[in-house]
Amino acid sequence: MLVLSGEIDLNDSPVLRETILASLEDGKPLLIDMQEVSYIDSSGIASLVEGFQKAKKIDLHYGLLSISSPAMQVLTITRLDKIFTLYDTEDSFIDLLEP
Amino acid sequence: MESSPAIAVRDLVVEYGSRRILKSINLDIPLGQISVIMGGSGAGKSTLLRTMLGLKKPTSGEIRVLGTNICSAGARQLEEMRKQMGVAFQGGALFTSMTVGENIQLPLRQHTRLDENTIQIMTRIKLDMVNMMPHEHLMPSELSGGMTKRAALARAIIMDPKLLFFDEPSAGLDPITSAELDELIIKLKESMNMTIVVVTHELESVFKIADRIAILGEGELLMVGTPEEIKASEDPRIVGLLNRTPRQVAVDVDDHLRRLAGKAVEPGIPDEAASPDEPGVPGESASAKTADGESANGKSGNKGAAEGQ
Amino acid sequence: MKTIESMGNAVLSSLEQTGRTLLLLLIVVYRIVQPPYQFYAIVRQIYFIGARSLSVIIISGVTIGMVLGLQFYNTLERFGSVDILGSAVALSVLRELGPVMTALMVVGRAGSAICAELGIMRISEQVDALECMAINPDKYLVAPKVIAGLISVPLLTCIFSVVAIFGGYFVGVVLFGVSEGSYINGMIDAVVWSDVRLGLVKSFIFGLLVTLICCAKGFYIHLSKSGSLGAEGVSYVTTDAVVISSIAVLFSDFLIGAIL
Repeated sequence: MLVLSGEIDLNDSPVLRETILASLEDGKPLLIDMQEVSYIDSSGIASLVEGFQKAKKIDLHYGLLSISSPAMQVLTITRLDKIFTLYDTEDSFIDLLEP
Repeated sequence: MESSPAIAVRDLVVEYGSRRILKSINLDIPLGQISVIMGGSGAGKSTLLRTMLGLKKPTSGEIRVLGTNICSAGARQLEEMRKQMGVAFQGGALFTSMTVGENIQLPLRQHTRLDENTIQIMTRIKLDMVNMMPHEHLMPSELSGGMTKRAALARAIIMDPKLLFFDEPSAGLDPITSAELDELIIKLKESMNMTIVVVTHELESVFKIADRIAILGEGELLMVGTPEEIKASEDPRIVGLLNRTPRQVAVDVDDHLRRLAGKAVEPGIPDEAASPDEPGVPGESASAKTADGESANGKSGNKGAAEGQ
Repeated sequence: MKTIESMGNAVLSSLEQTGRTLLLLLIVVYRIVQPPYQFYAIVRQIYFIGARSLSVIIISGVTIGMVLGLQFYNTLERFGSVDILGSAVALSVLRELGPVMTALMVVGRAGSAICAELGIMRISEQVDALECMAINPDKYLVAPKVIAGLISVPLLTCIFSVVAIFGGYFVGVVLFGVSEGSYINGMIDAVVWSDVRLGLVKSFIFGLLVTLICCAKGFYIHLSKSGSLGAEGVSYVTTDAVVISSIAVLFSDFLIGAIL
């Protein structure tokens, strides 16, 4: 699980991207906690999307947890709120993992 | 104003040569709101916009954008500030040698070191926001008017700017596309907290999107206020603007005739003003043509008058 | 009185334009060394200015060489000195015709296009758009073209010269029966480094002049009288650019030849 907090802008997103991709490389399903995110720009969103694409390709579970409202607004206007799988609690994600 | 304004214009005077276009403008553009600059043609809207963008140096006065005085800013400062601004020009101003996608990506490629995938995804996100996703690989010359405007908007917001300028968004668009664009502008303000400045004279859009309206008239600020305040105004110029009343031009019959005909019409008066080449009312006076006495006054028509000399 | 006034205006405006052009050169030099570096743009311009002029250069090179061969043969025959045909052709090409003809061909082929492109971009607000995106138009638009000119024109000149010498060879040796040995050896004997150097120096300067002038005319169209004329204005500055850069080439050709 990955916890994001604060502001994510052009300077931070490369790091975010690396982290997400590296974690997926390890073959572990990824849940990203977005509760504390106060601001995320489209480069940050793009990193999340890239992670999602990769996870789909290697068939790993990937989701976003407790999206903060600023982040949610950005997801809505970019029409990505329908694309990601959103979770309200950590448990609902964990439940999915156990077949 | 609660917080400091996004743009503060103080005593702005702008001249083109000897023509004074803006006469001491004082205006605040509040942060996080949609401000509309309206006015009749020739009122100075474009000039005000260009000056705010730093494309035109004012004769006097100052403009502070996001705290920086653009009139005295150094090149570096100006550059940094412009990275936080997005501009959608009236004609789109898309680069014709690149595809729509490449146009949108250009600021990213020049200013960031983002990964290629990130750039592609960001481009497509913005394209989707303006409903242009299927057209990523078209060239600007292949786009319709509405598509051009949307592509220009996508390019303007690619770096998630804090300040967005939109010059005549609805010009030449059909009502539906225009309405969609209005929706998008409102959404941008709400979800990304953008301060948006729109220059337009499309009344419907104005009252739909504006939080504040500034009306320019002949280089002066006629009024600044909320849409309700503007609607309630009794200033005849503003009322006329809002009701789309054509301007009344007083007509003086003699004056008008004189201007149409090019010279005095009363018969018997010598036309001193007439030159051989000037088409004029065929004068009935024989004294009109004096040079060599050959008067073509018997014939009607200007040709005769010219040849008579 | 009016004529004097308009003459004065013309002189002032020419001075203003010249100054602006030189200033542009300084700005370009200052900007291009700052990141982000525009390698890709420079390469693209080299393709556009250089590579795409190749066929024109080769054709005109061969032709000029053949003409030289023909004319020199004609003259030299009367004095019985046809064996110096090789040196005559080589020297004329390397010192004069190579640089000058190449530059003039490039003006026609690429210079006019550059000027028109920049002019149109200026009047359609594309240059303003770049500025507002914090992308410096001098660095992004103008500088790559100037550098590409500086690189392409000398290279094209070399190709022109080689091809022209072959052209002369073809006419002199193959057609008119001048001995191959005398053509080539004459050339080797007569041509010295200072001749080649002269040609190279000229080609660098011409490359700079041509691209700079054509860029400046188009880029600053909004500051000239044609700025408000739209399409007609663009065609006006483009023809102006071609004329002025051609004259500049011919004039500096003389100056450089006199100095060096």
